Amino acid sequence: MHPPPAPSAACHAPRGGGSPAAMPPGTVPAQPPGGRSPAWRGAALCPLLVLLLPFLAGVGLTAAQSVGWLLPVQYGPEQALGGIVSPDAWTGWRQLAQPHMFGSLLLGLRVAGAAALLSVAGGALLAYGVWRLPARMQLAALVFRVPLILPHIVVGFLAIVFWSRSGLVSAALHHAGLIAGQAEFPALLWGGDGLGMVIAYTYKELPFVMLLAVASLRRLDPRLTETARMLGAGRWAVLRDVVIPHLAPVLHASFLILFLYAFGAVEIPLLLGESTPAMPGVAAYDLYFLRSLEDRPAAAALLTLLLLCCAGFVAAYVRLVAGLRGRERQL
Amino acid sequence: MTPRAGMGRNARQRDARTGSRLFLGLLWLLFGLPLPVLALWAAAPGWAWPDLWPAALGGRTAAFVLANRQSIVGALASSTLYSLAVVAVTLCACLAPARLLAFGRFRGRGALEGLLLAPALLPAMGCALGLYGTLVRLGLADTPAGVVLVLSVVSYPYMLRALASGFETMGQEYGRCAANLGAGPWTRLVVVELPLLLPAAVAGGSVVFLVAFSDYFLVQLVGGGVVPSFTGYLFPVLQSPDRGLAAMLSLVFLLVPVALFVLAEGLVLAVYRRRGM
Repeated sequence: MHPPPAPSAACHAPRGGGSPAAMPPGTVPAQPPGGRSPAWRGAALCPLLVLLLPFLAGVGLTAAQSVGWLLPVQYGPEQALGGIVSPDAWTGWRQLAQPHMFGSLLLGLRVAGAAALLSVAGGALLAYGVWRLPARMQLAALVFRVPLILPHIVVGFLAIVFWSRSGLVSAALHHAGLIAGQAEFPALLWGGDGLGMVIAYTYKELPFVMLLAVASLRRLDPRLTETARMLGAGRWAVLRDVVIPHLAPVLHASFLILFLYAFGAVEIPLLLGESTPAMPGVAAYDLYFLRSLEDRPAAAALLTLLLLCCAGFVAAYVRLVAGLRGRERQL
Repeated sequence: MTPRAGMGRNARQRDARTGSRLFLGLLWLLFGLPLPVLALWAAAPGWAWPDLWPAALGGRTAAFVLANRQSIVGALASSTLYSLAVVAVTLCACLAPARLLAFGRFRGRGALEGLLLAPALLPAMGCALGLYGTLVRLGLADTPAGVVLVLSVVSYPYMLRALASGFETMGQEYGRCAANLGAGPWTRLVVVELPLLLPAAVAGGSVVFLVAFSDYFLVQLVGGGVVPSFTGYLFPVLQSPDRGLAAMLSLVFLLVPVALFVLAEGLVLAVYRRRGM
């Protein structure tokens, strides 16, 4: 997304250590300041370790707890005697092999995938529209940033206000004479398919895509679209053949970010989700806090599985993008 | 040829202007409508189903906010304070690494960047629930320090990314010129680089602030309800059937980010004007 800095003519560094003796006295050797030596690099990273180490520790502890190690509350044989089956290392993982767990992961994939796809497609189109607006209307177009400052829980509440059966959209349809009563309005929220969560996530994520896409479009040379128009391309052809290819890196990167977020998040599902199938994050939360302590390894196992899935998606994405870049270079 | 090709120039311009207006109207309908609807809900004692406009308006929820102003202001202040602390922690932690990512050229840079950005890509809960027991043992659970730590862990990648692209935009030349004129590393950072990085730091800080300020789950988990937060105050109301109060408190919530962003923009402008940049 961020092009490397353009090489400058002035004081350019010889890569890999030029001899300082060759320079006039008093001149600072123009080496990359961050990259003097591995030790220097390590020192630059030190402050971040305060934050990175807890993250890695948290992920590691979750994985360890999924096989029964390092649990905050350990199970001794005395608990096992009280009728509970003695837990072995894989109890938590075995608990995952249940149809509702599978359904929960599938719901997560569906909701996150649909929301990310809708936001990326809608965001690209709306960003194109914003970009084409005349300069004096640009200020008024900033209204698209409103959902950025709304927290997820308020966006969930807005989905209820607008899209529930007693909501404003249903009332508007009633006034338009399209439905006679609330029961005729489709059950978008809590209808079993997670559509309410898709609506809420899409609404929250659209401005995110638009922000990135508008910024990227401002870097697009307008002469490219003008030339395309002059050569006879219609508006849609320009969009398809010039604008979308230019936006592609921003769009697929934001798809990944939005998909991963919605796949693991809990705040909107706490308001708009259902109990079965629950979104995977909520399922893990319920196992951890709302059931008995012996379910905690299962919660950790589910979270570990989520982390592995997300890491797998990132790896697949990186390989896919590398493949795309390679093909572009061949062209 | 489309029929529009035959139109006069004025007609086509008028056509384009109408299109732009229509599009702008769509944007406002889509993204601007929620705020007046929240305001109406906040003012309506009840809003029965088929009505598109509430039958009556009143000041019930405003009275609630006034009567509970102490707890509301307390929750807002606590949320603001821990979010600002998260911004400060992430800014301090990310400056040097962002510079390394922007200017350093070494093997494994891509892998390092991937590792450093991982907390933004992987589900926060996967880390937070594993860490929870340790936080309890360390005495960090139910304390503002624990909340700041966990929120910083999940939000620093945004700061890192913003600062790294800030460094990239700035380039290395300013720092080198200052060094050649005899500035030490500290002077270089404070006098030359930080002012140039201000827009990037404000952008990263805004995102980090929003993530921290809007977060409900992590604050509730690590703060245990002991650390007051506005989202913790708001969430049960959003779940309750009292939509009027929920709308009112949602609007109150927005006051802080909006005010802070106006302040931040003003700060950047003032600094740049004073330094004549």
